[in-house]
Amino acid sequence: MNSDPRTVRSACVRVADWPIITAWNAEPSRRDTAFAVLERVGPRELVRAASPAARALGVVPGLRKREAEARGVDQFVEADLSGEARRFEVVARACETVTPRLTIDTPGRLGFPTRGPARYFGGDLALGEHVHAIVGAVLGDDAGSVRVGIADGSFAARLAAREARHHDGCLVVVPGSSARFLAPFPLAALGDADFAGLLERLGIHTLGDFANLPSADVLARFGPLGATRHALARGLDPAPVDLSVPPPDLVERHEFDPPVTRVDTAAFAAKALADRLLAALARRGVGCVRVRVEAETEHGEQLVRVWRHEGALSATALAERVRWQLDAWLDANERGTRIVDGDVRAEQDLAVLSEMGVDSTTGALVMLRLVPEEVVASGERQMGLWGGDAAAAERADRVLGRLQGMLGIDQVGTFVVQGGRTPAERVAFVPWGEPREPRRPLHLGGEVAVWPGRLPDPAPTQVFDPPSPAELLDRDGYPVVVNGRGELRRPPAWLRAAAVPDGGGAVRGWCGPWIHDVRWWDIRQRHRRALFQITIGDDTAETACLVSIEHGRAHLDGVY
Amino acid sequence: MTGTAVEPVGVEPVVSVEPVVSVEPVEPVVMDVMGSMPSPTDRQRAAGRLQLAALAPRVAPVAPAHLRALPVAAPLGDLLPGGGLARGATVAIDGPLAPALSLQLLAAASAGGEWVAVVEPDDRPGDFGALAAAEAGVALERCAVVRRVTRDRWPVVVSALLEGARLVIAPVPQRLRHADARRLVARARERQGILVVVGSGWPAEAALRIHGQASRWHGLEAGEGLLVHRDLLIEIDSKQGHRRTWCAQAS
Repeated sequence: MNSDPRTVRSACVRVADWPIITAWNAEPSRRDTAFAVLERVGPRELVRAASPAARALGVVPGLRKREAEARGVDQFVEADLSGEARRFEVVARACETVTPRLTIDTPGRLGFPTRGPARYFGGDLALGEHVHAIVGAVLGDDAGSVRVGIADGSFAARLAAREARHHDGCLVVVPGSSARFLAPFPLAALGDADFAGLLERLGIHTLGDFANLPSADVLARFGPLGATRHALARGLDPAPVDLSVPPPDLVERHEFDPPVTRVDTAAFAAKALADRLLAALARRGVGCVRVRVEAETEHGEQLVRVWRHEGALSATALAERVRWQLDAWLDANERGTRIVDGDVRAEQDLAVLSEMGVDSTTGALVMLRLVPEEVVASGERQMGLWGGDAAAAERADRVLGRLQGMLGIDQVGTFVVQGGRTPAERVAFVPWGEPREPRRPLHLGGEVAVWPGRLPDPAPTQVFDPPSPAELLDRDGYPVVVNGRGELRRPPAWLRAAAVPDGGGAVRGWCGPWIHDVRWWDIRQRHRRALFQITIGDDTAETACLVSIEHGRAHLDGVY
Repeated sequence: MTGTAVEPVGVEPVVSVEPVVSVEPVEPVVMDVMGSMPSPTDRQRAAGRLQLAALAPRVAPVAPAHLRALPVAAPLGDLLPGGGLARGATVAIDGPLAPALSLQLLAAASAGGEWVAVVEPDDRPGDFGALAAAEAGVALERCAVVRRVTRDRWPVVVSALLEGARLVIAPVPQRLRHADARRLVARARERQGILVVVGSGWPAEAALRIHGQASRWHGLEAGEGLLVHRDLLIEIDSKQGHRRTWCAQAS
């Protein structure tokens, strides 16, 4: 079979368990311990990667945290996407000595077309081994995790890189034989569990089976998305099918005056750039699948990196990638100048890189540009979510974005109602621009989640988070105590708190206690509390309060 | 919004200017707009449009100030002059019930599909009762909250928020400068937004001053029952005079 002329011969460089290696670098003492890197997917915490010791215990990516705990792993690390991207810049720079046309798919994996470099190095295998060696050199102890795959099309190259584990870290699929190479892989390799499941039920189990179906039938049955995947399974790279080169006026740029050295300042500008770029693209009905991030430093250095995304990039995803990239550049810059307070590994990186003739960035950024490299027709365009006046939403968005720049991303946002027991627990603050998803969903698979011991409505109009200190005393002036069974010894008679009028007063009405034993299964996070609704004051003026007692101490949680 | 005729007096003379009845004299401007060779039907249509354009201001609904107000739900709405909040006004709320009453105003603006914003001061983080706001009818996805606003940044933040939201609730910081306060009042008027300042010590003028004096709760006894609803004692000062009444808050 001849290779399709549209298919670009590509290489894929992958560092296995990149999240683990990043975690090791952050904390070298973790190297021999069993731990897992967690990522939050909706309400759940799933294992993103497991260290070799944890893998030996049977912990695999995709497992829930609780299941991982059941298998004996008790150390967990939050996924640090920005850190992963920052560290990966070292790998990207090493590969840049081979070719300038790098595309980062995700931290831990990058690709490039091999035609030019393969000729220079004398064939695909020589190129692959060279890349394997240089990436291994910058990774030091972790060199064994480097995988290089070369094949027709980036999809086949990616799978080749995955298989390279069995071939000393470097696997080259002979030109024209990608389809044969792909045939035995399971459908899950396509990266869409739903689609794979559907085909499984139809009796199709491998990419080869799928590839053998007639393309016209696949298109008729599964639509354009199915046709794209069918092409992948046949060893064709469908990415170039409806690609067009975007016109130059779609380039978005921002000049920094004065030059910036801080990542968050630059990242904030990047967010605005990403919004503008995607708005401009959306007006033309296209989405961006590959974007080039370009920056210029005050010393005239040009930094360029290309990021690719399966499916079109959203504004948040794009801004995130730009931020990671800026992180990597500015961080490298800072490390270059800050030798004294020794990040030893970073210095090693720099030393290795400079031996290889790779310079680190110097100076602050003066310019940032986003260039859409590949665009695809976007199937559907999502209209405004908020309903109501779109212009008002746009105005609000602009103002809130500006305030975020002034006060910090986390200081501006909206609340979202979620599951919980107390008024403070039942809402979550979401920074502006982030998806408004509750941490604890209100509905679980169509059923309303039940929270035993939830306080009845109405909710307090003022909520103190954290609760402010108070004193709840009985008739004799002793603090009110709730015993282990949740029984109240003596009723409350007096409340003292700075946040209520006159600093407190005699208790008129009260009810409770509502006993909460929060996260009783988790010894570190467990806490027990008793809550009361209490009114104080006299016939002319009453104040209703929400008071909690925890560890024998009273707190004012809210005022109604 | 400001463009629509506010006072009925201003409407009259518009009609008499245009000779709208004659069909013949068609201005060249209209032909440009049509963008094609004018066939007789085009010409007629253009003339018809002119007629309509001339009529439009005459039949446009006239909205006096009290109708342009944001309606506020009972019980607070019944006490306010005009039954609601006039756009562009500054409202000062103080007293122990200030948080509860400001949520009512927030809900009034939010129910009309407007964007609203809440400023939380630096010294009282997590002060905004978001759940109570949702219960009062505030659409939380259109309610921006700005946290930990320091005293020196307060005027800038409030001024920016007035640009993006119809109603802004902000607790008055200590030792607010008179000039800053007046600038914000002017800003609210210019943007047709409503500035609700919570707490005593608002140094500038306010179209409406609400004092949430006291409440009486029903439903809770010693050791039994639950908080159900309350009566509110509210004092209102406006140009229309002074009112002080007890009213029941809907539960």
